[in-house]
Amino acid sequence: MAATLHSDSASPQPRNPTSLRIYKILGTSFNDPGTQDALRTVSELYAPEALAARSSKEASTDATEDSPLQPHHEPPSLSSRVNSTSQDLTHGIEDIAAAARQNLRKDTEKRLTDTSRKYLTALGEINAKLELLQTHVNLMRTSCNEADQHLQASTDASKSMLEHASSLRNQRQQVEDRKSIVSLFISRFTLLDAEALALTSRDASVDETFFRAMDRAEQIRDDCRVLMSGEEGPSQAGLDIMAKMSSQIEQGYEKMLRWTAHAFRQMGRDSQLDVHPSLRAAVVRLRKRPELLHEVLGQLAEIRQDTVLSSFITALTRGGPSGLPRPIEIHAHDPLRYVGDMLAWVHQAIAAEREFLESLFDVKGDRRMVGATRSFAKAEATEEEGWLFEMMDAAVTKLCVPLKARVEQTIRSQQSGIVSYKVANLLQFYWITMSRTIGEEALLSKALRGLTDLAFTVFYDEVQAHAKTLTENMMDPNDTSVAPPYALLDHVQVLKEILNVYQSFLNEDQEDDQSHELVRILDIMVDSAVNMCTVGASDKMAIRPVWDGRVFVLNCLTYIQNVLEGYAFTGRKQTSLAETIKTHTGILLEDHYQNLMEDTGLKGFANVSSSYDESGPLSHQPGARAHEVQAYLHQFASWLSMVEIGHSPRLTRLTQHKLHSEIHEAALERLVEVYRQLCAEVRRPSHKYEAAATLLGSERPFGQVALLQQILGVADRADLKEGSSQ
Amino acid sequence: MAFNVDDDATELLETYDFLMKFIIIGEAGTGKSCLLHQFTHNSFKDHSQHTIGVEFSSRTLKLGEKKIKLQLWDTAGQERFRSVTRSYYRGAAGAILVYDITSRESFANLSRWLTDARALGSASLVVILVGNKSDREEEREVEWSEASKWAADNDVHFLEASSLSGDNVEAPFLLAARSVLLAIEAGALDPEKAGSGVSYGDRALRRVNSSSRLSFGSLSGGRQKNTVKLKMKKWMPGSRCC
Ligand SMILES: Nc1nc2c(ncn2[C@@H]2O[C@H](COP(=O)(O)OP(=O)(O)OP(=O)(O)O)[C@@H](O)[C@H]2O)c(=O)[nH]1
Ligand SMILES: [Mg+2]
Repeated sequence: MAATLHSDSASPQPRNPTSLRIYKILGTSFNDPGTQDALRTVSELYAPEALAARSSKEASTDATEDSPLQPHHEPPSLSSRVNSTSQDLTHGIEDIAAAARQNLRKDTEKRLTDTSRKYLTALGEINAKLELLQTHVNLMRTSCNEADQHLQASTDASKSMLEHASSLRNQRQQVEDRKSIVSLFISRFTLLDAEALALTSRDASVDETFFRAMDRAEQIRDDCRVLMSGEEGPSQAGLDIMAKMSSQIEQGYEKMLRWTAHAFRQMGRDSQLDVHPSLRAAVVRLRKRPELLHEVLGQLAEIRQDTVLSSFITALTRGGPSGLPRPIEIHAHDPLRYVGDMLAWVHQAIAAEREFLESLFDVKGDRRMVGATRSFAKAEATEEEGWLFEMMDAAVTKLCVPLKARVEQTIRSQQSGIVSYKVANLLQFYWITMSRTIGEEALLSKALRGLTDLAFTVFYDEVQAHAKTLTENMMDPNDTSVAPPYALLDHVQVLKEILNVYQSFLNEDQEDDQSHELVRILDIMVDSAVNMCTVGASDKMAIRPVWDGRVFVLNCLTYIQNVLEGYAFTGRKQTSLAETIKTHTGILLEDHYQNLMEDTGLKGFANVSSSYDESGPLSHQPGARAHEVQAYLHQFASWLSMVEIGHSPRLTRLTQHKLHSEIHEAALERLVEVYRQLCAEVRRPSHKYEAAATLLGSERPFGQVALLQQILGVADRADLKEGSSQ
Repeated sequence: MAFNVDDDATELLETYDFLMKFIIIGEAGTGKSCLLHQFTHNSFKDHSQHTIGVEFSSRTLKLGEKKIKLQLWDTAGQERFRSVTRSYYRGAAGAILVYDITSRESFANLSRWLTDARALGSASLVVILVGNKSDREEEREVEWSEASKWAADNDVHFLEASSLSGDNVEAPFLLAARSVLLAIEAGALDPEKAGSGVSYGDRALRRVNSSSRLSFGSLSGGRQKNTVKLKMKKWMPGSRCC
């Protein structure tokens, strides 16, 4: 608006200094904000209220207000109202401007004064207030001072408390340290609740947790023992811990004992022989408490005894499920099978028992232990082996009673010696087997040994009885036969069967004919047979001298010998029997020779020559005179001319042909010797036989020994000797 | 008659599901002891002597999920031991009947052995015929086809093996064990009964009823046979593994 005023009045001014001045003034722009503010303030100073409000309103609208023309399209009512207002304003402004031009300075100064006065009044008030404030501040200072004093006092007072507090803090730190040490100690030297529970609770099972707790407890006790062995000697805490641990460990062992015993009982009930690893571990640990282990093993032994016994009885009387396999007792009529089945059952039970025990004691079996080179391992194994044997022994202890009863009954009720012998052999076989498996001292081994002995005793008794009947068997005096009698054949048949059993049975060392039992059997059987023949024969010969007892004896003996020769292991008895046969062969030979001497007539000469005492020539002795010698030679020649000189009718009755020719040949050889001697005596000049050559040459073999040998078919003794020495 | 226990400690000490009794039978010299030695020791038994009576050994097998412990009774083939060895047939679950493929005689006598085994073994005896010494092909006297026919006629399994090379040595035992498991499954065999040649091991029992068996919390809590049987079905050998 001011710009509008200036532009209206400026345009017509001329150019002169004043006007220049005015131009300059007019050219001065009052558009800067400071001037505008000042002008506005001034204008407001004089403006009536409404105008002031309007002017400020218009100033804020657009530049079109500068134009006096109003837009025609505006609504007329509004336009007219504006026009009227604008006319009033124009009139008012002119008055105000004039007043302003005159009074501006004065008004301004007056305003300044008013304002200053107002300031003064205001400041006066402020001053009064400040003074009041001053008083308050003073009061406050006093209070502060007092407070300060109080503070000082309390600071003094709290200082000792602080000191006390810090010492307490230190103490607390120490206590904390101690506490952590103690708790460390405690965790090191006491069991966790869970561990203690595992050790003692009846509900917690014996498993890994339990064993770990056990290990811990033992570790603690050992550590504690080490600690207490220090210089300070045992402390109360140490003793307490030791006591506590010992008690817990003991409880652990008790628990293990109960648990193991329970597991064993269970096992017995199921007759089931598998070993759970925990059970094995428990047994290993219980070894540290031999008395406990002993106790629980004792229980196990009892359980196993009962189980094995009842299984045995079941197998005997009831057999398998629904009767298959059949009960063992069903074969009681077949002693060998009955006893064999029972013993095989026991053997298998022991095998199972052994496996179970090996598993329980963690033993890896025989071979491994034999192979063990470390000595301590061996010592350990020995202990386990000891238990193993003991337990195996124990397991079959109760079973021994019914087993023994049944086997004994079977043995005693045997009619046949052979069956007894088979049973005895079977028992012996098992006795040896068991002795190797569970040891000779085991009850079962002893029982088997007893049974074996019994069976052999029964068998020997039978054999002896048999032998006795044989020797008592009176030979029939009217029987002219020289063949072995029926009684002997029967006896030897029994011997044969026994030897067959021995041969085919279970003896591992068959070549060993030293076998005690075999020697005994052969002694009884063979000797009785030999006795029967020899004694019986001589008795019979006494009654019946014509009966050829000597041939009979040899027939019997060679018969026995033949049988024995079928069994290589009877070598010893064969040798001794051969001796007997040799003796009896000698007897028969002598007999046969004497008979031949009689038959040949040489006996007469031999008798004289043997009793000849060198007193005078032989030809002068009665019985050896020339004509008597002539008669002997004649008889001899006629004997020689008989057919079949090579055979003896008597000896053909020997069943053993070899023996026949052997005896006959030997007798003939002796005959040749006698003839040779006769010739020599006759030829000797001192015996004064006249025409000795003629005497000898008158009958066959004409004094020629070689010829005689040829006739008799015997070799020259000298030749034989040469032949054998070559 | 010594006890030969398995060398392998881990095997020995493991628990098992089933315990089975097997017998090894056949003529002397057919290689029964060698077969068994190869099976338990994985090696050939040098200088094998005639077995005297009966020898015992054992081994644990794995068959699918099942662990089976075999109690093996090696019998003497010699005639003189027949009366003793026959007593060991009693209640066997399986029989390994061995002949020697290079000996017709050992094959010709098979019937006698089989008759004995069937008469004396367990009611559902499983028999496996093994033609041993298959390594000696050039001396063969018994053809595979002939033995196979005999086996079929007599209702036994058949295979050839060599205890020398170890060929097929485990097979007869596995086959027998598997057949026994099948028989159990079919209800023909009851391991709970004595004399069946089979029994449960601890492992099987534990699975069935672990708590009462191994803790003694309840001393009265014995295993009840009926419940066991019912639960047993769950882990019985299925057709999958057998
Ligand atoms: N080549 C060969 N030889 C074998 C085989 N198995 C066994 N033998 C040999 O056969 C012979 C008899 O073996 P054993 O195992 O003792 O026979 P067995 O059947 O146990 O005999 P008994 O105990 O008397 O019943 C031994 O000389 C072995 O070396 C085989 O697979 N191959
Ligand atoms: Mg053998």
